[in-house]
Amino acid sequence: MQEVALILSYIVIAYMLFSSLSYLGLFALAYGKVKKENKLDKRESTEDFLRNQSTYPVSILVPAYNEEVGVVSTVRSLLALEYPEKEIIVIDDGSKDSTSMRMIEEFKMKKIPFAVRTHIETAKIEAIYQSSIFPYIRLIKKANGGKADALNAGVNLSSFPYFCAIDGDSILENDGLLKCMKPIIESDGQIIVTGGSVRIANGSTISRSKVELVGLPKSPIVLMQIVEYFRAFLIGRLALSHLNILLIVSGAFGVFNKERVIQAGGYNKNTVGEDMELVVRLHRLLREEKSKQRIEYIPDPVCWTEAPESLEVLRSQRIRWQRGLLETLWNHRKMMLNPKYGSIGLFSMPYFLFVELLGAVFEFIGYFIIFGGFFFSLVDPQVAGVMFLVTVFYGSLISALAVLLEELTLHKYPKVSHLMRLYFWALTEAFWYRPLMVLWRVKGIFATFQKKAHWGDMKRKGIST
Amino acid sequence: MNLSHFWILIASLFLGQLLLLLILAWRKQQSNKREAAINSQYNALTDSFSSHMMDPSDERFIAELKASPYHLVVLERLLNHYVSVTKAGADSPAVLRLSEEFLSTRYMKLLKRGNWAMRMNTLYFIEDFRMESLVPQLKEKLAKSSRLDQETQQLIRTLASLNETLAIEALAKYPDAPARLYIDVFKRLDELTKLDALDAALKNETGNQTLKHSAVSYIGMAGMTLFLPRVEEELQHPEMEMRIQALKAILHLQYMNSPSALAPFFESTAWPERMFAAQIAGKLQLSRYKEALGELLGDSVWWVRYSSAEALTQFSEGDIVLTHFAESHPDRYARDMANQWKTSLLGSEQ
Repeated sequence: MQEVALILSYIVIAYMLFSSLSYLGLFALAYGKVKKENKLDKRESTEDFLRNQSTYPVSILVPAYNEEVGVVSTVRSLLALEYPEKEIIVIDDGSKDSTSMRMIEEFKMKKIPFAVRTHIETAKIEAIYQSSIFPYIRLIKKANGGKADALNAGVNLSSFPYFCAIDGDSILENDGLLKCMKPIIESDGQIIVTGGSVRIANGSTISRSKVELVGLPKSPIVLMQIVEYFRAFLIGRLALSHLNILLIVSGAFGVFNKERVIQAGGYNKNTVGEDMELVVRLHRLLREEKSKQRIEYIPDPVCWTEAPESLEVLRSQRIRWQRGLLETLWNHRKMMLNPKYGSIGLFSMPYFLFVELLGAVFEFIGYFIIFGGFFFSLVDPQVAGVMFLVTVFYGSLISALAVLLEELTLHKYPKVSHLMRLYFWALTEAFWYRPLMVLWRVKGIFATFQKKAHWGDMKRKGIST
Repeated sequence: MNLSHFWILIASLFLGQLLLLLILAWRKQQSNKREAAINSQYNALTDSFSSHMMDPSDERFIAELKASPYHLVVLERLLNHYVSVTKAGADSPAVLRLSEEFLSTRYMKLLKRGNWAMRMNTLYFIEDFRMESLVPQLKEKLAKSSRLDQETQQLIRTLASLNETLAIEALAKYPDAPARLYIDVFKRLDELTKLDALDAALKNETGNQTLKHSAVSYIGMAGMTLFLPRVEEELQHPEMEMRIQALKAILHLQYMNSPSALAPFFESTAWPERMFAAQIAGKLQLSRYKEALGELLGDSVWWVRYSSAEALTQFSEGDIVLTHFAESHPDRYARDMANQWKTSLLGSEQ
């Protein structure tokens, strides 16, 4: 037994060291690009597109399920977006609350007949409404079919060549859409998807659907999620995007070429990770066509979202994310280590399997060995000690580094005290937050074999202050 | 490696991070202080700047500006704000004079030695302030560039904003230069230079099809009816892309000298041509094509059906025609589309 535990210990230590180094390597790859654009006057670089008739019009899709608290402020923030031509489509996916009623009352919406093109099959459309104040705001009321189905209904109704998918509880910065569309326009359509950064709004001052003052929340659970987002977006996505092997564009904020999405078959209704699954399917399509088109992550455009404050909701969210990841990797297992899919098959898919998915299993074993080593002599305490230090390195120091890297590059949090608080909370990650995440992510793997797809059950307070 | 080695490794990584944290915190504090000082000076100078812009003989602003330790950044921000909120800002002699006097030396240095982001910002500001004295430096820089990257693209736009037709020649060096860049150049040239440049592009003696497409497209966008006969000629062009650009331009211009030239497009095998023909017939209210629009309402392509129904709403009795088609058109999809447009839908924010 002890021998098995010892071998496992060495494997986990090697794994954690390897993963940590891969994170650092990925960041080193992306650092140059972020640093290069750091001092660029963002306003100057996008203002031309604001008046330019070549700027493609965009349909903004807002899938909503029981979003009566946040949906109106989300749409209001979208109205304030600086963009030459847009339409806003809210899709109420059979909400049990008054999501539709809030929209109908607020924007004086009227029922209209509409000849929808059925590019992708969806659950039954019950009615389509249009605002009499802002004719470019529409509401689809449909039977419940899940988030993917709601987005597909939005794609069917949309009139423009690009669509932006944004969560019903999020607020987009005024120039966020323009910044996301800029690389698409400049590449003359060679970039087919762009994803922006998602940040946590809890703690910031939001009034009239606009982030007025960036701040930090008091809740340690939310603080840790902020650190986690830095780690995921800054360390992971930037570098993967640089290599054109990015497999995730956040469901909370991404812009897509509609024709390509329809070609790929739209969002998959049978997975909870529909955002990642679609991006992987698009990559698959591009590789099979030997196309040079790209999918990019852009760190600057920011979408603010409400993070869960209770452990119960956070647990459910993380189980769902992990399940989505596993389902996507399983559905596209044909691509794994397959040279036909180039760097996606040979690098990105294995990376997501071993680092993002199985990382939780390795860490779980690690915590088990530390506990068993110190209290039950499962392994030599010396080995348990090394395991503990490596866990601190992997769990805390890398996250603390992500905070420093954010400050080094984007520095979105304005005060020195913000930096200090984030850094010192990040250092505590390995001791309480990470074990919880590891446990829930392992549960997520098992959950894949149990449940059907459903919307997350986030309890909204609304992010406007 | 044993436990103590790992301890040393983790401790040194932690200490390294702590050092980096302290440096970043200090840097943040300094940059917050600097930003606060700039903002305060900006606010303090706003009044005298406004007076100076209205009455250049009021020299109070110049004296106050010179006394400011951040005078270059403050002036840059004041001028930038001024040109973005005032209509004639970009062509203001006061903006040109102030920028030439205080910023040109700094910009000359930045163009040569600044990092990429600073060089890009400099190009944007030279364009905003119309700093003609820097044209030789810009030309020299353009001569050295060999790739149509973001910086070269902005360099070309900046030169165009200073009315340099060299910008078009520079773009033509790159066979894959997109039409949107040519349009950006046309947009920035002054009226007389623009007319000559468009005339030359339509003649297309160099055989640059992208340039010609862009010219036709720009004529439509800018509503330059002066070129309408030349655009109408392009409807006979053997190349489909050129015909489509001409149709688009006519749609924007909202006028046609010879509407009969539109007839063949209702039967075109290319659906974009049918779609634009329908849109033009609606926009120009060409009632002779009402029957053709009724037929296109049952077209196999959704966009053609959509545009035909929309076009029918433009006619005075459009509601009646659409109600008729909604009930009796032989095609089911045509009936759906007519039904939708009956309620006079507006499609999007314009």
